Amino acid sequence: MALFDGFYIFPYNQSMIDRTLRTSLRDTLMERQHPGGGWSYEPASTQAALEPTCLALLALRWDSSPARARGLQFLISVQNPNGSWPSFSGDDQEGSGLTALAVTALINSGEISLHAERGLKWLLDSKGKESHWLWKWKFRTSDTRVRFDPNKFGWPWMPGTCSWVIPTAFSIIALKQAFVCCKTNEVSLRIRRGKEMLLDRACPGGGWNAGNGVVYGVPLASHLDATATALLALHGEEMNDIINSGLDWLERRVVTCSAPWSLAWSLLALDAYDRPVGSLADRLCDLSDPGLIRDSATVAAMILALDCLVQGNAFKVLA
Amino acid sequence: MLAGSVGLAAGAATSLPFLVPRYDQVRRPSRSRVAILRADEYSEELARDLMSGLRLFDLNVRGKTVLLKPNLVDFLPGVPINTHPLLVAAAAECFRRLGAASVVVGEGPGHQRDTELVLSESGFRNLLDERRIPFVDLNRDQLVKTKLRANYTGLGHVWLPRTVLNANFVVSMPKVKTHHWSGVSLGMKNLFGVVPGAKYGWPKNILHWRGIEPSIVDICATVPIHFVIADAISAMEGNGPLAGSSRALGKVILADDPVAADATCARLMGFAPEMIAHIHETAKFLGNAAPELIDQLADPVTLPEMPFRTVPEFDYLRAS
Repeated sequence: MALFDGFYIFPYNQSMIDRTLRTSLRDTLMERQHPGGGWSYEPASTQAALEPTCLALLALRWDSSPARARGLQFLISVQNPNGSWPSFSGDDQEGSGLTALAVTALINSGEISLHAERGLKWLLDSKGKESHWLWKWKFRTSDTRVRFDPNKFGWPWMPGTCSWVIPTAFSIIALKQAFVCCKTNEVSLRIRRGKEMLLDRACPGGGWNAGNGVVYGVPLASHLDATATALLALHGEEMNDIINSGLDWLERRVVTCSAPWSLAWSLLALDAYDRPVGSLADRLCDLSDPGLIRDSATVAAMILALDCLVQGNAFKVLA
Repeated sequence: MLAGSVGLAAGAATSLPFLVPRYDQVRRPSRSRVAILRADEYSEELARDLMSGLRLFDLNVRGKTVLLKPNLVDFLPGVPINTHPLLVAAAAECFRRLGAASVVVGEGPGHQRDTELVLSESGFRNLLDERRIPFVDLNRDQLVKTKLRANYTGLGHVWLPRTVLNANFVVSMPKVKTHHWSGVSLGMKNLFGVVPGAKYGWPKNILHWRGIEPSIVDICATVPIHFVIADAISAMEGNGPLAGSSRALGKVILADDPVAADATCARLMGFAPEMIAHIHETAKFLGNAAPELIDQLADPVTLPEMPFRTVPEFDYLRAS
């Protein structure tokens, strides 16, 4: 709280945040839940998807409503036999790059269960294809147009493909939240490799995009949500120039952003690093007419962002 | 210069020769039609000129659901990355006037996860709202498992958005660009945008690993492109699709065959279409690339004095 003319005031509009949280956004999210317990991206879709379902469960993690219980039951019921999660109900069973998000949703719901453990085991087995010696050799010798170090690998979107920023960042968050202490060597190694991969793939101008900073010698532009997610994964690590540069880029770039998804993720990341987020929260509140936001994952991300100012940041990880 | 993050095809197969035909049947029309329209700038006049061009084709879209698929990748100020929103709005107006039951714009950007951010910063959102043109984020649409009608990738099937499969008339609206992995990004490459990120990720890296050109052929064999409206008013050369530079061509290319459209665009860029693997292969079963099988309904094909610049790996595309 800040001292101003003898009165303590909140650095952001608390009452507006509360009203937004407790009325329109949460109600909207609840209304959009499928009878089976999951959420789809688009309200008109009857196909529950992993990302909106996990983000909705994280947004409702303090809720004692039957909606949350139904959502958790749904999430558990669609887990693949190999421990991963499908991208949507009815999907093939090879496993989604957002499996880590399901693990994080279970952990934050107090469900350190067999399901979360199986998900974690799958995550530890999953790695970017560039980690294989043959592809390392190829990327070092003949295929050098994309600048990256194949020794530093993380997690792919789909099995049999390269590591990318978003699945890697979510996997690091899940592992750090699941193993707060007593990390096995394997867990420590995967977190370290994933962290190295994120640092390696940063864009020269600060921040991250989908996964490469330089192609054909040209520095590429960063994206807000990828930068925010990478920073959340790197929270608790020793600060360095790449992290500081990412934070600075995020703060500068988000000033002109009017899209709720990117605003929400930026707020979550900047909050984790104790950067000021009051004006971002106000802008999110201004955008929070649920009728205008068709994507349920975005609605959930907005709740998580505004919620982090009141009840804590679901993605914050400790060293 | 900063460029968006499209060059992320780590693991991409280069243009492998298509040694064995792997399509289910020959669906090539006996002849194809192309109209090259002159248009020097993006303006409200585009709708009038486009309507005149479309009337040359006697299209029957009455009562049909029309899907306009622009190339909407990312937004970098001053860089001609995306199909211009005024051309897309003009196309929507024309198809409505031609009697379409509904016209929807759909796209699934390959790298930028925040589709709303791209829509808003590129000027699409305001224009679509103003003209009441619905937009579907194909990355997050309901998905249907679909058997591929060609098998160059070995994928067998792909999950596709319901909006794409339900459309009776799919219009590919590419930005005419060079591409550092596939040589060109035209009407057929534009269909990468119907492959959903929610299933395949951002980027859709499985397509790179299976080969970009084989993936283009498989997708175009499976999702019929009924018409092409290519934006070559301000095109891109060099290190496309994001880090290239603007090249004014002052043309809009219309075609009732995606292979004929891409072959014609390639010629306008100063390239030999038969050297572009996905055009060469689809010309065997999906459409016509040979000039003698293409009726030019408006301006003739004129080769540029200087071919479009490419990254060095694609110097061989230049027409001799």
